[in-house]
Amino acid sequence: MTTAEQTSGFKQLQVEDFRITEEPYYLPIADEVELFETAYEQHVPVLLKGPTGSGKTRFVEHMSWRLHRHIGNVEAEGVPLITVACHEDLTASDLVGRYLLEGDDTRWIDGPISRAVKAGAICYLDEIVEARKDTTVLIHPLTDYRRLLPVEKRGELLEAADGFLLVMSYNPGYQSALKDLKHSTRQRFIAIEFDYPPRDQEAEIIHVESGVDRDTAQELAKLAEKVRNLKEHGLAEGVSTRLLVYVGKLIAKGITPRRACQTGIVWALTDDVEVQRSIEEVVTSIFDE
Amino acid sequence: MTLSADLTAQYASELRGFGASLPDDFARGIEGVSPSLDEVQLERWARAGVELANSSLRSWEAAAEYFRASPAVARELTFDQLLQWVDLATELSGRSSLMSAAFLKGTPEALDHLGSDDLDAWSRQGDRLCRGNWKSIALSALYFQVSPRLLESLPLDSIGRLVDIVDQLTERSYELATTCLESAPPIFAALAPADRAPFLAFARAVTRASWADTRLYFERGPRLLESIAPGQRAAFLDLASRVTMSVGRQGFPLFADSAQAIADMPEDDHEALIAFASRLAPGSPAAAMEFLKSAPFIRSRLTPEQMEQWTEVGVDILVNEHNAEGAEAYFRLESTRAEDTLRALSARIELTSINTMLRMYAKALSGEQVSVQSTENLVDRNIGWVTESTATTEGTAIYLPPFVNTFPEQQANFQVYKVFTTHQTGRMEFGSFGYRFAEGGAHTPVTVTEREVRRREAKALEAAQQASDGRNGGSERDAADVATAMQRYFNCFADRTLIGGLFTVVEDTRVDACVAQEYGGIRRWLKRLQEYEADQRPAVHTMALRQAFVENLLRASLGRPDTIRWPASLNSFLEQGLGALKVVEQRGASVQDSAEVAASLYDLAVSIPNVVHNLPEEDWVAPAEDMISVAPSMPGGGEGEPQMMPNGEDLAFENPQQPEFRGDFKPELVQLLMKLKLQQDGKQQDGVNAPLTKEQLMELLENSAEITISEWAEGDLASSLGMFLSNLEKDAGTPAGEKQQGEGQDDQSSGTDGGTDEEELPMRIDYFYYDEWDFRAGDYRPRWTRVGERLSEEGDDDYYDETLRKNHGLVMETRRQFELMRPESFRKIRRLEDGHDIDLDQAIEFIVDKRAGVGPQARFYSRRNKIERDVAVAFLLDMSASTDEEIEKQRQKYDKDDDGDDFDGDPRKYFQWLAQRRAKQALEPPKRIIDLEKESAVLVVEALEAIGDSYGIFGFSGYGRDNVEFHVIKDLTEEYGPRVRKRIAKIEPIRSTRMGPAIRHTIHKLDEYDAKVKILILVSDGRPQDHGYGRDRTEKEYAVHDTKQALNEAKRNGITPFLITVDKEGHDYLKQMCDDIGYEVVDNIESLPRRLPTLYRHLAAE
Ligand SMILES: Nc1ncnc2c1ncn2[C@@H]1O[C@H](COP(=O)(O)OP(=O)(O)OP(=O)(O)O)[C@@H](O)[C@H]1O
Ligand SMILES: [Mg+2]
Repeated sequence: MTTAEQTSGFKQLQVEDFRITEEPYYLPIADEVELFETAYEQHVPVLLKGPTGSGKTRFVEHMSWRLHRHIGNVEAEGVPLITVACHEDLTASDLVGRYLLEGDDTRWIDGPISRAVKAGAICYLDEIVEARKDTTVLIHPLTDYRRLLPVEKRGELLEAADGFLLVMSYNPGYQSALKDLKHSTRQRFIAIEFDYPPRDQEAEIIHVESGVDRDTAQELAKLAEKVRNLKEHGLAEGVSTRLLVYVGKLIAKGITPRRACQTGIVWALTDDVEVQRSIEEVVTSIFDE
Repeated sequence: MTLSADLTAQYASELRGFGASLPDDFARGIEGVSPSLDEVQLERWARAGVELANSSLRSWEAAAEYFRASPAVARELTFDQLLQWVDLATELSGRSSLMSAAFLKGTPEALDHLGSDDLDAWSRQGDRLCRGNWKSIALSALYFQVSPRLLESLPLDSIGRLVDIVDQLTERSYELATTCLESAPPIFAALAPADRAPFLAFARAVTRASWADTRLYFERGPRLLESIAPGQRAAFLDLASRVTMSVGRQGFPLFADSAQAIADMPEDDHEALIAFASRLAPGSPAAAMEFLKSAPFIRSRLTPEQMEQWTEVGVDILVNEHNAEGAEAYFRLESTRAEDTLRALSARIELTSINTMLRMYAKALSGEQVSVQSTENLVDRNIGWVTESTATTEGTAIYLPPFVNTFPEQQANFQVYKVFTTHQTGRMEFGSFGYRFAEGGAHTPVTVTEREVRRREAKALEAAQQASDGRNGGSERDAADVATAMQRYFNCFADRTLIGGLFTVVEDTRVDACVAQEYGGIRRWLKRLQEYEADQRPAVHTMALRQAFVENLLRASLGRPDTIRWPASLNSFLEQGLGALKVVEQRGASVQDSAEVAASLYDLAVSIPNVVHNLPEEDWVAPAEDMISVAPSMPGGGEGEPQMMPNGEDLAFENPQQPEFRGDFKPELVQLLMKLKLQQDGKQQDGVNAPLTKEQLMELLENSAEITISEWAEGDLASSLGMFLSNLEKDAGTPAGEKQQGEGQDDQSSGTDGGTDEEELPMRIDYFYYDEWDFRAGDYRPRWTRVGERLSEEGDDDYYDETLRKNHGLVMETRRQFELMRPESFRKIRRLEDGHDIDLDQAIEFIVDKRAGVGPQARFYSRRNKIERDVAVAFLLDMSASTDEEIEKQRQKYDKDDDGDDFDGDPRKYFQWLAQRRAKQALEPPKRIIDLEKESAVLVVEALEAIGDSYGIFGFSGYGRDNVEFHVIKDLTEEYGPRVRKRIAKIEPIRSTRMGPAIRHTIHKLDEYDAKVKILILVSDGRPQDHGYGRDRTEKEYAVHDTKQALNEAKRNGITPFLITVDKEGHDYLKQMCDDIGYEVVDNIESLPRRLPTLYRHLAAE
């Protein structure tokens, strides 16, 4: 396949050539690693369910790195990971591929799914509920025993390579009933539930990811636990691990904890002044400066 | 014979003709005057008397007084003056001998204060009151009788002014005039000389403004003044006079109220207060008095300096904004600005202002669905908590004092609230109520099982002894028979009060330690409050020993072992106690540890006799620092040195007073409540215990040290307990959420009615408070109105269907119109074969595919399409009494003239018409405004059900600002159903129309509801009117302005207000204000459906 082209300082490569070469840090919370590995072996598509910033993307990256053993030809480099961020205008052509004009001729170009299918990559459809329903249906034949991708415009059927796995993510929190996943889609996946990790583990993640000291990380995790108690009583979403990592980074670089929490948590979470104040009081109860 | 004897003899018979005693009076008189008079004068004196007696029918009475008074008068006056005096008397007697007699009688005393020249003026003042009728005569006689005493304190010309007042009063009531005159001498005598003239001046002002208040002033004025600093009374009276001259009849009430208010202030402040009020008076006299009235309240919240700042804002409104009404409202504390300024300046924090925030804070910390409420509410619930001043919790809600003013800075007081909340939340978060019997803690071994056995044996022994003494032994209960684990634990100890107190100290120590560990940011404030509390503790060396022991433990638990005082000779007890207490401060300590530590402290405590130890204070010493370290093992009691113990009689043990932030701790009751709650929810704790029996409950309540016996009525223990129990059960039955307080919301529902018959009183009323707009002051009156929301009653089933049937055509038309209405929000739809826009991406793809020969579909158009509607509308129906008016009648009034012409003066035609009309009316009663509203409601329901928008229907009425009734006919979130139909049937005219609060409450409901388009439609007769909704009954401006303001608030909150009025007669006061608010007059139901869709489409656009 095409190699990376070196253009004016940045690396440009074909999606299926992207490999995660260093182990992405991921702290397993429960048995999700084992589950995923088994599903991968058994060609069972996986749905990752969980609130924003709870480590879904990180988990897939980690798994793609971990699963390198399963693919024969690319030693030690992991399974390619092709990520598609879904949105409401995403069409079937966007996923499968389309013809492009080239001079007076046309040239076919594969979409991300086709590439993943051919390369035997993990195809990660992020925020699948955002995609149009007719687009979602497209993946149905890929997810059952057939593992086929129909390429309508070319009148072809692509059979998935051995390493191929379809993974989707889904945040059940803020979806309106309208946008819920269709059952026929849903029931083609096993679901791994993600939630924000328990206090000690979350503290560990914050510490490793942000470089902030262990004690502060512990306090941040405690704060997160308290703030999450407010979910649905003033807050639409609890504070994510991602935000905590950001806050940890600010603190690690010398911003005071109270100030870092204010910008990274209080103001980021809500615009409701009363809720802001109560979160701020929780912050000041935990951090003394 | 002397001349006097001659004269006596000479006139005796003549005088006897007037009255038997007159000759004697004469004889005594002549004897008395003879030393002062020569013979000629004596003769003239005698003749003058006789002439006086003869001058009119009853003038002999005056003569008698003349004879009696003369000796004293003759000593004071020259003979010529004496003659003038008797001339005056004769003149008076010409009008009334009674008056003349009083004049003569009063003269000697009056002469003590009057010069001889003043007699004339004095007599004329009395004469002035005499109008010839007997009441006026009596009054003037009274004048002569009391004025000599008055002269002791008032100069004659001042008395003249008093006479003016009395004279004015006679035009209204002689009785009142008499009372005032009669009461005057002691009043003026008691006043300081400098205050007398001002007192009189104010009396005059009061009489002019409101004559009836004069009596009140004379009765109460002096006492009111007494409480004002002596030097300030005159100034205050001057102020009151000036105010009264401008405000009229309000003058005296303002005086009385403000005097009382001043009395509540320290005397040193009076001067400044009155001076400040006098400064306000020229601009607004009323504001001056309102300021004085509010002063004590303001002072209770602000320091003198802050108060000065507060008042300057009011002055600014008055002087720079030229807004006298505004200043008045400000100083009356009925303005938002006044409250805001107060809040900003005051160090004091009100719970209401931070309630919502603290609730979320507590929720965040505990992860529980807690609510935060004022302690006042808990006491009202009568489930065992009685103090209002300290924080506490009963397991589902946190109770905090209504305000905190502990420290001089606002910030610090806020932190106090935070510490309160954190500690109380801590009891939930760190499991204070989760005690399980005989479960081990991290740091202590379990001893309670042994203790239970020992205690049972002891009790059995006791019972056996009692039985052998012939007394009735208490029946022994099984361990499994207790209601809660806490109860079972407490049962292990003979002295429940002691163990309760110890457990509280230990558990609070643990909770504080947990709080300090978990919440580094609040540690500092916790410490400050602990120190503050430690400094407030009562003297320990006068306490009985055991009590002192517990008190010292409490001090240690406040982190202040340095404040401990204990006899050095008994140090080992203290050392062991402190060491044990330290155990629960370690990480990982749980409530189980607390229970065990408390148990071993109990052993220690019972081995200390509760006697007063007569040691000098200096022998009570603080512990050495090395004494305070975690005990290696739990101390046991009993091995103390008994010989060192002082002897004496054991006093009753009392637990130390709890620090405020820790407050009441009642784990036994809380566990019981939680258990009752679980039981009522149908869940069983542990799945083991059988439901609680009444007996179990009674047993717990009777023995619990958490309820003080004094709360029960003597001798009626059983019934008090029963009552209490039902309160507890009821309380447990109320879901936590219902006990919550929302913003500006009062949670007292039907529970306050005593709630004895819940079945019969299903109506639940939730109260909400709203500001009201005072257009004169240009400011809101804070929390001025109280809106009670309740479900509307249900009427009969048929009304709705009947209306549908009668208006079948209309209903169909309305439905059709609504179904035709298109949704208003749009979404772009792509890939259409036809549409409004070409989608460039698609078009390119199409061309590419075409070239590639893939046989593409030409779908590159897009269109904006409508998706789901997102509209919420609230209908607010006027249910005031005025809607009872018939519409027909109104119309009739209008049409009368035309009708008159039709009959051509032919009475037969007229009667025919009348008969027809009557028949028609009998068949179909005349339609009232309210009927129109009801029918509209039916139509609205039909229409909106067709289109699928969310809607609510509400009615309002009420009386006065505290009783605005808000009837929910269909709530926004409620599904349409038969109950809604029945409620519509029951819509009835009730009382007044206070529109503002009803609108505000509707806004509140719409605010809570999630929708893109929100509409408020007010259907009324256009006449806002209520008691106190304006200066008087006829004033409409206030009400109209408030209503308008409320509608503007709706707009500000993104709600589109619209008014429909069903008034044709032009009583519509709302019209004038609807310059920028949608408005429509509908005078018959037929036009409503035609209007509704257009109107609705218009409103729901965007
Ligand atoms: N278990 C974990 N181990 C290591 N890092 C984690 C873990 N969970 C969360 N994180 C951290 O949280 C951050 C956010 O996680 P990630 O981006 O995977 O969230 P997500 O679930 O994909 O969120 P979204 O739904 O918003 O895409 C990561 O960058 C990582 O720093
Ligand atoms: Mg992600």
